[in-house]
Amino acid sequence: MRLERWQQIPTGTRDLLPHETGRVRETVAGILDRMRRWGYREVTTPTLEYLDVLVRGEGGTVGSRLFKLVDRDGELLALRPEMTTPVARLVATRLREAPLPLRLAYAGQVFRWREAGSGQLREFPQIGCELIGAATLEADAEIVTVAVEALQATGVDQFSISLGHVGFLRGLLGGLGLADPVFEDVRTLLYQKDFVGLRRLLEAHDAAPARVNALLALPTLQGPSALQQAARFADVPEVRTVVEDLASLERMLRAYGAWDAVTVDLSIIRDFDYYTGIVFEGHTTALGVPLLGGGRYDRLLERFGVSRPATGFAVRVERVLSAEESAADAWAPDAVVAFENGSRERALACARVLRARGLTVAVEVQGRGWEEVAREAAARGVARALLVRGQAVVVRERDGREHTVAFDELAAGTGEERVP
Amino acid sequence: MSAVTIAIPSGRLLDGAVRLLEAAGYLAPEAWRGTRRLILPGMDGTITCLIAKPVDLLTYVEHGAADLGVAGKDTLLEQGCDVYELVDLGFGFCRGVLAFPEESVGTWERNDPLRVATKYPHVTERYFWGRGRAVDIITMHGTVELAPQVGLADGIMDLVMTGRTLAENHLVEVAELFQSTARLVVNRVSLRSRADVVAAVVERIRAAVTASTAAPPA
Repeated sequence: MRLERWQQIPTGTRDLLPHETGRVRETVAGILDRMRRWGYREVTTPTLEYLDVLVRGEGGTVGSRLFKLVDRDGELLALRPEMTTPVARLVATRLREAPLPLRLAYAGQVFRWREAGSGQLREFPQIGCELIGAATLEADAEIVTVAVEALQATGVDQFSISLGHVGFLRGLLGGLGLADPVFEDVRTLLYQKDFVGLRRLLEAHDAAPARVNALLALPTLQGPSALQQAARFADVPEVRTVVEDLASLERMLRAYGAWDAVTVDLSIIRDFDYYTGIVFEGHTTALGVPLLGGGRYDRLLERFGVSRPATGFAVRVERVLSAEESAADAWAPDAVVAFENGSRERALACARVLRARGLTVAVEVQGRGWEEVAREAAARGVARALLVRGQAVVVRERDGREHTVAFDELAAGTGEERVP
Repeated sequence: MSAVTIAIPSGRLLDGAVRLLEAAGYLAPEAWRGTRRLILPGMDGTITCLIAKPVDLLTYVEHGAADLGVAGKDTLLEQGCDVYELVDLGFGFCRGVLAFPEESVGTWERNDPLRVATKYPHVTERYFWGRGRAVDIITMHGTVELAPQVGLADGIMDLVMTGRTLAENHLVEVAELFQSTARLVVNRVSLRSRADVVAAVVERIRAAVTASTAAPPA
């Protein structure tokens, strides 16, 4: 059988059915609510940005993972691959004069080109927040705490935040005293997480054995003893600062009540041209990919002409949801309302009253007979079916019990104990 | 906590991978032979071993379906997956080479666009780009050495162990693109969320590798 185009959606995209959309909305609302309580206000930026904006924010290599298009004036546009750059643009333009620090949150769809068959989405929701204008560890502690609370809000099981610092790797690499081209190769191997190749390269260049071993032990530099181990390389000033900062952060995060969910992890390798301080990832044992990622990026805003330290993170909502048990779609409205000839007005008034009480009410629109409506409603799990017949409202419970109330009583909001 | 899952590849590296897991005390000697099962329980219940197609192996580890895996460096180079490559396991040595038919080996010297058949399109393309040379890649899944003989390609890029296949097919090596051995790879989240157990497995395997290279079997 031939599959026609109209039966398909583009690779890496998803349709969400009502119960799935509901879960996404609920999760996003829960996270945004936590952020709101910490003072983060949501902003919205366009789905499309000028290509120049995205390249300025993320560097030239971003081009290969963008969906680009040309508008009718010949301008190059692209779908945003993440939200931090658009928010940075916003901060550097319309919020340039806003008092600092700025606490901004966002939630929206982002788009990245991915190889077909990689199992990765090309469009997915991202939700995050940025704390702009504070270069302090206090700000980092706050952002890590909000990240912990964001994951708590989603109810995902057994999550943890791995907290590292780009300065540690930078310091270790700087301490190797390698010539520039070799340094670039070392960085490439680190980004590829190729520790076998790294060992070969460093041994071939006679780098100081102690530092080589430190680099090679990187994947295990995590957990309660990580800072002590890292302190052994504190003869490099940058490493010393990192170790001190992380120790201070630990004390702060204890005070913030977030430390239980945090592990020091110096093995986190994130882009250290972009990040300038702490970096962190959120994980759960149920999933092989991070749930969230973030860190301090003090130099991004400079690319947009203002100097603002900044720290933030973004959550991969669809990953959070895939780490949870998904329940089958068991949704049904709280009540259905059918009516006899001549009773439309009273039926709609009745539905209005119930909706005003916060219930979901579906009115029969197919003109089916009462018995059929009531039977079908019970089968779908609707708690009550109502038939409006003149002055009388027949209420049938899901279990078949039936009683009648007067329309006036219902509309007046009395007799509440007998109707939904 | 559930057992740590190790994915090992069927095919060329299976034997070495099983021997290694036996040496590390994870698999009972000879337990796997003759079985067609794709999931083998470990001896002490700390690991589960699954057997995957080599080309799929890194996918299992990258997505976290397996915590660890044994993969050839050739596959790592070709697929560029987001996994930690931690230990050179020492076995499964081979080389990735470019080879041309004896009678037309001169085509390699001329700077003409070449057609190259290979199971490693990305590696091959990167190699040619790195040298500023034009190439048309023909991606194949097996018996690559056939391609030049039937006019499908000018030359091939393929794995060589002894060089016998090249010789039998009258192909001459003109360049080595990489050397490969089996590597131990780890999922990035497993390394963190199951740090203790995963690190213990890595160290036990590393120790088994060191022991086997220190005292090669007679």
